[in-house]
Amino acid sequence: MGIDVQTILDGFFTTIQPMNLFWIALGGFLGTVVGMLPGLGPATAIALLIPITFGMEPTSALILMAAIYYGAMYGGSRSSILLNTPGDGSAIAATFDGYPMAQKGQAGQALAISAIASLIGGLIAVVGFIVLAKPLASFALRFGPAEYFLLMIFTLSAIVALAKGQMVKGFISMCIGLMISTVGIDLQTGVYRFTMGNVHLSEGIDFLVVIIGIYAVGEVLYNFLSINKPVGEKKSVGKIWITKEQWKRSKWPIIRNGPVGFLIGVLPGAGGAIASMLSYSLEKQISKQPEEFGEGAIEGLAAPESSNNAAAVGAFIPMLAMGIPGSGTTAVILGAIVMLGLKPGPLLFENNPDMVWTFVNSMFIGNLFLVILNIALVGILVKILDTPPRVLYPVIMMLAFIGTYTLGYSTVDFLILIVFGFVGLFMKMLNFPVAPLILAVIVGSDMEQNFRMSLISYPNAIGILTASPITIALVIMTIVSLGFPFLSSWLMKRKAGKNNSEAM
Amino acid sequence: MVRYITPILATLVGVIMLINAINLPKSNLGNPNGPMYFPLLIAIILIISGIVYFLQEFKARVNDFADFRALRIGKSPAYLLVSLMLMLIYTVLFDRIGFLYSTILFLAGLLFLLNGRKKWMSNIIIAVAFSFVTWYAFGTLLQVSLP
Repeated sequence: MGIDVQTILDGFFTTIQPMNLFWIALGGFLGTVVGMLPGLGPATAIALLIPITFGMEPTSALILMAAIYYGAMYGGSRSSILLNTPGDGSAIAATFDGYPMAQKGQAGQALAISAIASLIGGLIAVVGFIVLAKPLASFALRFGPAEYFLLMIFTLSAIVALAKGQMVKGFISMCIGLMISTVGIDLQTGVYRFTMGNVHLSEGIDFLVVIIGIYAVGEVLYNFLSINKPVGEKKSVGKIWITKEQWKRSKWPIIRNGPVGFLIGVLPGAGGAIASMLSYSLEKQISKQPEEFGEGAIEGLAAPESSNNAAAVGAFIPMLAMGIPGSGTTAVILGAIVMLGLKPGPLLFENNPDMVWTFVNSMFIGNLFLVILNIALVGILVKILDTPPRVLYPVIMMLAFIGTYTLGYSTVDFLILIVFGFVGLFMKMLNFPVAPLILAVIVGSDMEQNFRMSLISYPNAIGILTASPITIALVIMTIVSLGFPFLSSWLMKRKAGKNNSEAM
Repeated sequence: MVRYITPILATLVGVIMLINAINLPKSNLGNPNGPMYFPLLIAIILIISGIVYFLQEFKARVNDFADFRALRIGKSPAYLLVSLMLMLIYTVLFDRIGFLYSTILFLAGLLFLLNGRKKWMSNIIIAVAFSFVTWYAFGTLLQVSLP
């Protein structure tokens, strides 16, 4: 099966329609602004802006949300470099060398290389998307209920296992998410479950309200805890361009880490945070001057920036090709486009190829747009960073409530929103990972349907697990992903022990 | 103490869910126990996780909750409590006096809380302006009807 050049070109022409270009620009700009706010990342940006997509064409909505996503990634790097306050996990690595660079008076160069690295990383990943997405979708056509059920189990277990040393907390977070998804009328039998006699709850809890509650209200409340802390001193930006010497140093790290980030993004559970950390340590290991890392080495900024943007693009593959989001942010996007009546999965590539390729092309153009925005308009963007958060957080809070109202036109949802806002706050305070909950809320209902359908075909659990080679592979992958944290900590201990004995 | 409350709470929620799942009404269609299986599975995982979490916390004996310490100092607890109250008042007022006025009050309340009373002028301007712009944007441009 080849890649049909004609459909890709058709997608390109759909993308450059004025309205779609407008959505790309709007999404990229709004995403950048929200992403720049300290403490807020892509998931929050999308959760907040979901109401804009209502009444939109699904294709335009997808384009808009993707633009918000990578816009927020660009924005997150701005605040990492200038203020040392990353918006979310994937922007943390940008503080390691980006902030020292700004301290040394190279803020302009840091911003420029971050934008350029993000662009190249993103473009490499778009090429990867074109190559990998369709084969994966065709492969997923062979999936039945049992395979889907186990794929969801694997995705959830991967995201739980990656909650660094907090696996138990990850499991609890996941269970809460799954519980939320069981509230309401059971789709297969009409039995009312866990509604506590409340009419509103019989329709179930809208997962978008949960998402807005946790990612918008919860994050803002969490930021209240540190609102009086002084932020890092902002240096003047200066000229936004890099020297030839700097480009020579960062060229290969950028190109190397694009594919690295892309592949990690495709994996379920691992997203931009892991991709950028891995790229950072990878570059540090192969660098001839590892001692410069952390002191403002330009390749230490370029590598993770290329990698996390590539991961963001890669994360769309399992979401679109299999209907399984691999990260919190793609879970939010999936939830929003399902609301618009679109069902991502292998059939999307068969039935709506124009949509998929329009989306791919929009990522090309969107990344180009963001580089222009981030380099040409950096003066205005930096001014936004001057707006005090104590003014912006109330506005975000208001937007969260309005967004929730537009979902169901009922103030009962406000109460659910408040509850989950505080759930999100306490989870962050207690160091619980949020992504497993979000993912579980989104896939929970599908997961149960697939589970029960497979129970009809196979009478017992063993039958489901061994239904086909694919299910067996998925079971093994689940076991490996859950065992991996134990294995790696055991290896680390062993290595440490070895080093100690050598030292003696 | 906080360290033990969360695992106990998680286990408790699991037990409640287990009991509720077992007592779910039987289905007249298909497998009578169909609606029960999945919740049962979740409840069991949650209970096991809660117990393991409790044992971990019991073994660790460290108390590292920087964020909870932050709760006790400064204005943070006041911020959270007052915001909660403002949100609940907003919920009540929204249906009574409509979107525009309730939102102005909500936004102004939050701004006075966070931005301080000294900047009352800018607080009021921001609250009115933003509420009006969103009201117009949603009502007219996005054609979402707001009360």
